[in-house]
Amino acid sequence: MKNIGKLSRRHFLQSTGSLTGAAYFRLLGPGIVAITQAACSAKEAQAAFKVLTASEASDFAAIAARIMPTTDTPGATEAGVVYFFDNAFAAEMSTELSDAREGLAKFNAALDKAHPDNAGFDTLSEDAQDAFLKTQQTGYFFNLSWAMTMFGFFSMEKYGGNKDQLGWDLIGFEGSHGAWQYPFGHYDAEVHAETKHGE
Amino acid sequence: MANEVKFDTREEVDFAIIGSGSAGGILAKELSTAGFKVVVLEQGPYRKASDFNHDELSVFVRGELLGGHNDVHGQTFRQTENDIADRPDVQPARYARNVGGSSVHFTANFWRLRPVDFKERSLLGPIAGTNFADWPITYEELEPYYTKVDWEIGVSGAPGPFDAPRSKPFPMPPMPIKSSGVLMERAAKKLGLHAQPEPHAILSQPHNGRAGCISCGYCMYYGCEAGAKSSTLAAMIPLAEASGNCEIRPDSTVIRIDTNDQGRASQVVYLDAAGTEQAQKAKAVVLSANGAESARLLLMSASPQHPDGLANSSGFVGRNLMHNAHSAVNGVFEYPLNDYKGVQVSRIIHDFYETDEQRGFYGGGGIDARPLFSATPIFHVLAGRDPNVPRWGKQFKETMAHDFTRQMSVVGSTTSLALDSNNITLDPESKDAWGRPAIRETYMDHPDDLAMAGFLEDRAAEILDAAGAVKSWRRGIHPTNGGEHLLGTCRMGDDPASSVVDSKHRSHDVPNLFVCDGSSMVTSGRGQPTMTIMALAFRAADHIKAAAGNGDI
Repeated sequence: MKNIGKLSRRHFLQSTGSLTGAAYFRLLGPGIVAITQAACSAKEAQAAFKVLTASEASDFAAIAARIMPTTDTPGATEAGVVYFFDNAFAAEMSTELSDAREGLAKFNAALDKAHPDNAGFDTLSEDAQDAFLKTQQTGYFFNLSWAMTMFGFFSMEKYGGNKDQLGWDLIGFEGSHGAWQYPFGHYDAEVHAETKHGE
Repeated sequence: MANEVKFDTREEVDFAIIGSGSAGGILAKELSTAGFKVVVLEQGPYRKASDFNHDELSVFVRGELLGGHNDVHGQTFRQTENDIADRPDVQPARYARNVGGSSVHFTANFWRLRPVDFKERSLLGPIAGTNFADWPITYEELEPYYTKVDWEIGVSGAPGPFDAPRSKPFPMPPMPIKSSGVLMERAAKKLGLHAQPEPHAILSQPHNGRAGCISCGYCMYYGCEAGAKSSTLAAMIPLAEASGNCEIRPDSTVIRIDTNDQGRASQVVYLDAAGTEQAQKAKAVVLSANGAESARLLLMSASPQHPDGLANSSGFVGRNLMHNAHSAVNGVFEYPLNDYKGVQVSRIIHDFYETDEQRGFYGGGGIDARPLFSATPIFHVLAGRDPNVPRWGKQFKETMAHDFTRQMSVVGSTTSLALDSNNITLDPESKDAWGRPAIRETYMDHPDDLAMAGFLEDRAAEILDAAGAVKSWRRGIHPTNGGEHLLGTCRMGDDPASSVVDSKHRSHDVPNLFVCDGSSMVTSGRGQPTMTIMALAFRAADHIKAAAGNGDI
C-alpha cells in the first residue's frame, strides 16, 4: 500500500489549492508591467486585525487608497480593502506575510530617505504619496499590494473588502446575481423591443 | 439515489472508464444503459450543481475547479526540446477536475466540424514538416452522432449560411442576441460578412427534464448552478447512475493501466481519496482522461512488454498536441453593453472557416463577439482593462468605472497543425502531488497557425471599427504557453504506424483498450472542439457496444 504522506488528498487540496503568492503573480503576468485617507477605516471601525499591526494596517490601507483612490466615488478605503489584506495574510497568504513585511520595511526605508521627517506614509499629502509611489511601482512589494487591492476591492464581501459591494457598484457590475432578463444593454434593447412588437 | 451501485475492485466489471468528462461521461451513460457494468474513475471530486458558485476569487484566482494551481500538479513547459522546461505557476495543460470534467466549466460554444475538416489533407496536399492528415472517418459518418449530441446533450442554435448539413434541426432556438452580437451583426453587414447565431451546449428552454438558462453570466470557467449548461454532469451522469449499472468513483487518481501476459489490459491501478493504492479489474478499459492525461497515463503504463508506454508502438502517444490558436481585440463603446450578463457569445462569423490559398498559409477559423475579459471584475482588471491607461490612481479608477460595462472582445479561434515537436511527455524530474511524473508540455505554434490568428485579429479590428467602437486595442499574437484545448495526442487512424487507435477508438496494440477524447482528433477544427469530442464518444460507444455484444472486447 502506498500513501501520499500524512495528509489525505482532500486535506492536501484544501491546503494547497489556495491563493498562493504564485497564484497572484501568474495573474499579474507579463502583460501588466507597470495611494490619503490618513486614518484607515479599520481604526475608525475599531475592528481588530488578525495579523497586521496597527502601523502595518495604516500603511497598507494608505497604499491601497492611492491605488484605488477615493474621488467623488468610494475607493479602497470605503470598501475596507485593508481587511482583505489582513484576512488573506492570516490564512491563505500567510506564507507571504514575512516577504510582504520585508517589502514594507524597504518601502518605508525608501520613504525615510525621500522624506526624512515623515511620520508615516499615511500622513503625507496625496500628491506626495502619489509622487513617492511612482518611484516604487515595480517589483514584488508594489505588485503584491496592487493585486491584493484589486482582489480586496472586487472579490466577494465575505473576504473582507468590497464592503456593501462598493467595488462592483463603481464599475456597474450588478453583482453575483441569479437570473437576468433580456435586454441587458443599450444595443440589444431595441432589437428585443422590435422582437416583442413583432410577435 | 435508488439505483446507486458499488462494485468491489476485485470484481471484474465490463468496463473501467478513466475520466468522466465530455467523452467519459457519454461512454459511461451509453455503456451502462446498454446493460454493461461500468466503473468510472474520476480524479476530481463529485460536485453537484448546488456546489457551483459565482466566487471569482475561488474559481478564477484560486483555480477551484482546476484542482488548484501548478504547485499541486507540477506540470512543466518548454517551447522546443532544446529548451529547459520550466514549472510555471499556472498549469500549461488546463482542465477542470471534477465529475463531468471540463464540460462543467467550459464556455459551451459548440461548433460541429465540417466535411472539409475530415479530408483537408487530400484537398490541400501535404504540409512539409507536419503530420497533417485526413481522418479515417468522414463528416457523413459522424453526422448522426452530432445529431445525437444535439438532442441528448442539449444544444441550442439556428442554422448559419455555411453550416455543414444536418439530418435534424436544432432541438431548440438559439440563445437571444446580446449587445455584443448586435454590434458585430451591424459590422458584418457593413463589411459584407455573415453573422449567425452561436450554437451552445446550453439549453435556451427546458429540455429532457432539465431547466433552461437563467442568464446568470457565469459560463466561462464556472459550473452551472441551473444545470442548463449541457455538461456530461448535467446531461449524462444522472442517466448512467439511474441505470443501476454504473458507479462513479470520484477522487480516484489513476497511476497506471496494467496488462497481463496476453498483452491485454487487466486492471486500472489508482489512488483512492485517502491516497491508498487500489486496482479495479475490468474486461476492457476506456481511457477518456483528455488529450494531456490520456497520453500521460499511457506513457506511465510502460512495462517490459510495452517499454515505450502502452499502446505506443507507433510512438504517436503524446505527439501532435493541438491547442487551437487564438486572437482577441478589445473595443469600448459609447453606451453600456452589460455583456457580463447571459452566455458569452451570441453571434459568430464563419466567413473565414476554410483555408484560402490567397492568404498564403494554411488555416481557417471563426470569429465571435463576447465580453471575455469583461465577464467578471477581477478578470477585467487583470487582463481586460485598457493597457494605455496607468494601472493605479484616479485615471485608472475612472477608466475601469467607464469601460467595464461598455467593453467587448472580438475573438478569433483557429486551426493548429499537428507536429511531432508539439507534445506531452513525462517530466523526468517534476512530480505531481500524488507522486506521479508530471506532464511536460512542449509546444510552439506553427507559423501558419500564428499567421491565421493574426489574420483574424486584423478582421476583428475591422469589425470593431465598423461597429463604432470609440477605442480598441489588440492583445497581440504570441506563441501560446499552454491551453485548454487538448487535442491530437492519441490520434485515430487506419495505419498502426502513424496512429494510436483505429477508426473505432480501439488501440492498435492492446485489443481491449479504447481511447476516446480530444486526443483522438486528427486535425484541430476551428477552435471549438467539445461538440466533436462528444460526437466521437457517442460513435465510439456504438462500436464498443457492438464489439462487446460479439464477445470481442
